[in-house]
Amino acid sequence: MTILTVESISKSFGSFKAVNNISFDVNEGKIFGLLGPNGAGKTTTIRMITNIISPDEGSVSILGNKMDSNQQNLIGYLPEERGLYKKTKVIEQLEYFGRLKGLNKKEANEKAKYWLHKLGAYGWENKKIQELSKGMAQKVQFASSILHNPPFMIFDEPFSGFDPINTELLINVLLELKNEGKTIILSTHQMYQVEKLCDEILMINQGKKVLSGNLREFKRNYGTNHLVIEFSGDKSFLQNIPKEQILDYSDNRAEIKLKNFEQSQEILKMASAVSQISKFEIVEPSLNEIFIDIVEKMNLHSNGGENEKN
Amino acid sequence: MKKTNKIWTIISFEYITRVKSKGFIISTILGPLFLITIILVPGIVAALSMNDTSKKIAVVDDTKIIVDRMIEISPKTFEKSNKSIKELKKDVLEGKIDAFVHIPVDVFEKLNVTAYTPGGGGLAYLEKIENNVTQLVREKRLLDNGFDEKVIQLVQSQVNVNSIKVTEKGTQKDYTEFYSIFGYVLGFMIYMLMFAYGGIVMRGVINEKVNRIIEVINSSARPMQIMMGKIFGIGAVGLTQVLVWITVAIAISFASSSILPMILNNSTSNLPAGASGSVSGLPFDIPPIPIGVWVAFLFFFLMGYFIYSALFAAIGSAVDQEEDAAQLQTPVTMPLIIPLLFMPAILGNPDGNLAIILSLIPFFSPIIMTARIVATSVPFWQIATSVILCLLTLYGTIWFASKVYRVGILMYGKKPKLKDLIKWVKLAK
Repeated sequence: MTILTVESISKSFGSFKAVNNISFDVNEGKIFGLLGPNGAGKTTTIRMITNIISPDEGSVSILGNKMDSNQQNLIGYLPEERGLYKKTKVIEQLEYFGRLKGLNKKEANEKAKYWLHKLGAYGWENKKIQELSKGMAQKVQFASSILHNPPFMIFDEPFSGFDPINTELLINVLLELKNEGKTIILSTHQMYQVEKLCDEILMINQGKKVLSGNLREFKRNYGTNHLVIEFSGDKSFLQNIPKEQILDYSDNRAEIKLKNFEQSQEILKMASAVSQISKFEIVEPSLNEIFIDIVEKMNLHSNGGENEKN
Repeated sequence: MKKTNKIWTIISFEYITRVKSKGFIISTILGPLFLITIILVPGIVAALSMNDTSKKIAVVDDTKIIVDRMIEISPKTFEKSNKSIKELKKDVLEGKIDAFVHIPVDVFEKLNVTAYTPGGGGLAYLEKIENNVTQLVREKRLLDNGFDEKVIQLVQSQVNVNSIKVTEKGTQKDYTEFYSIFGYVLGFMIYMLMFAYGGIVMRGVINEKVNRIIEVINSSARPMQIMMGKIFGIGAVGLTQVLVWITVAIAISFASSSILPMILNNSTSNLPAGASGSVSGLPFDIPPIPIGVWVAFLFFFLMGYFIYSALFAAIGSAVDQEEDAAQLQTPVTMPLIIPLLFMPAILGNPDGNLAIILSLIPFFSPIIMTARIVATSVPFWQIATSVILCLLTLYGTIWFASKVYRVGILMYGKKPKLKDLIKWVKLAK
């Protein structure tokens, strides 16, 4: 079931088109990755979904209803830039943010304590934010975004500022939320976490949609065309492979982007003729490589376009 | 329903966190102490100073006949001197005497005397010299021209003006001077409160923007709700403070009629009889303050606060840090300060055209109309007009501010100018 529908939204700031005709659906119970390089328009897109700004064109609906002030209560939002009152007590801000999302004071207080406990932040209620470390404040911020138990959550770079232990804690919380049936939009540059957590992804660049869909399918379609070969002996066989296909190499290891399956067999023959092979594996490219690949190609293209104009 | 809840949540958060703060408690306590000090201290100082430091003026009388009469009339002020003008100038500079007067022989023909002073010190005693010498010179000229002393006494007799204020309830003693000063004090208080609380609104907006809290709140409530919630919440803090002060003021004005005179009379009982102007030992009595004055004060304080705090909120939303706000603030602080510059002129003639016109300009009304209402009986149509103009202006500033605020709170990185703000208003649909 679709929980969020984004229909051809656009937003300009002056002459700058931050988001250009983007559409996508987010399905209930999924973790949805929103990817894109810095300045791609992710934050503007999220701000339109959370009704912080209105799109110039297009519309956002949640559970079939057009986004408005009341629908905002259905969303839990953790912005990339963290925001808490420095001189206010932890429990007071959590109560305040909970009440702004429609809880009464008692509910907000209970939920705040529940989440502080769960995140290993129990006992901080009466501390002021300025007394907390960055990671601690981060936990308070995370609690503030979901304590009203919304069906739909948006986390923008939720892992930033966390050590590996707390990152693991957060990943478990996200998976738990997913199991409870919550829908999550995860916007992050940490591709490793995206591969681990996301079911579906949307990638945008320069305000436009680049690709979207199921992460596994997408990776498969992008091609199982990555050859990793480890060897000892002569590496001269690499000279027979076009340079642009070799992504990485050293004295005993090479990563090659294959043209097709047949090429892998040719390489195997050439390599085994001159050296001993200890590993020969055809793998999916990592999301990180796909990401860099796509963005670089697009930027090259658009720069070329700009040059033509000039 | 939910909309109201959100704005109430914001108002109560803004109100409670501030009313609980140390700053609020301290300023609420120190505010009246400060005011009492600025009102009472000059009075007490004036009362006490009559004893020892009243002006001593040396008189060099070339006619030899005037000076004795002057000392006869004001023995505390004048003293005869035989020193040369040069020596006396030195005495003035060294502070041995406050001033001296030279009466030349030809004063009866040329009607000129010269006073030498170190500068400053008020015009009051110059007037005293003038009055004294005039009286004596006139006497002498009349005598020389063969008038009878009886006639001279008739001519010289002084008329005392007893000022009586006419009201609907009948006549009462006139407290013009007190009401002028009190009007100034209340007008000044409104100025300070608008500045202080407008500043709190601005800093609150900047704080939420700088610390990126606004994005969290904005994902829960509309910008208009956030801005108005903040303005109302902080306004309620101001109202609380003012109500505390008014309660204290009413209590003090009640107490002053019974307790203060006792205290002051004890400390000033060694003054010569009649040295102080009133029973209480103050240079003026404290007359009753009509409840309407307090109502007007509260009303115009809130009106001014809302008009200006909306503008302060707009400025706060536009900048990234408080330092950047200074330039944008000028167009807002100017109309706040201008009324203060006109206050003496207005209170000098609270029913004049200048006073009427300025008090009707909505950006000035909160300060000037309040002062006028205290100082004089302002016709109803003028009050009504200023209220209507203020309400229209209020609507306008909130409309303007909400447009700027919406765009401003999410705008980082550049230091906007006034024309950028106007552009944002056009941008916001």
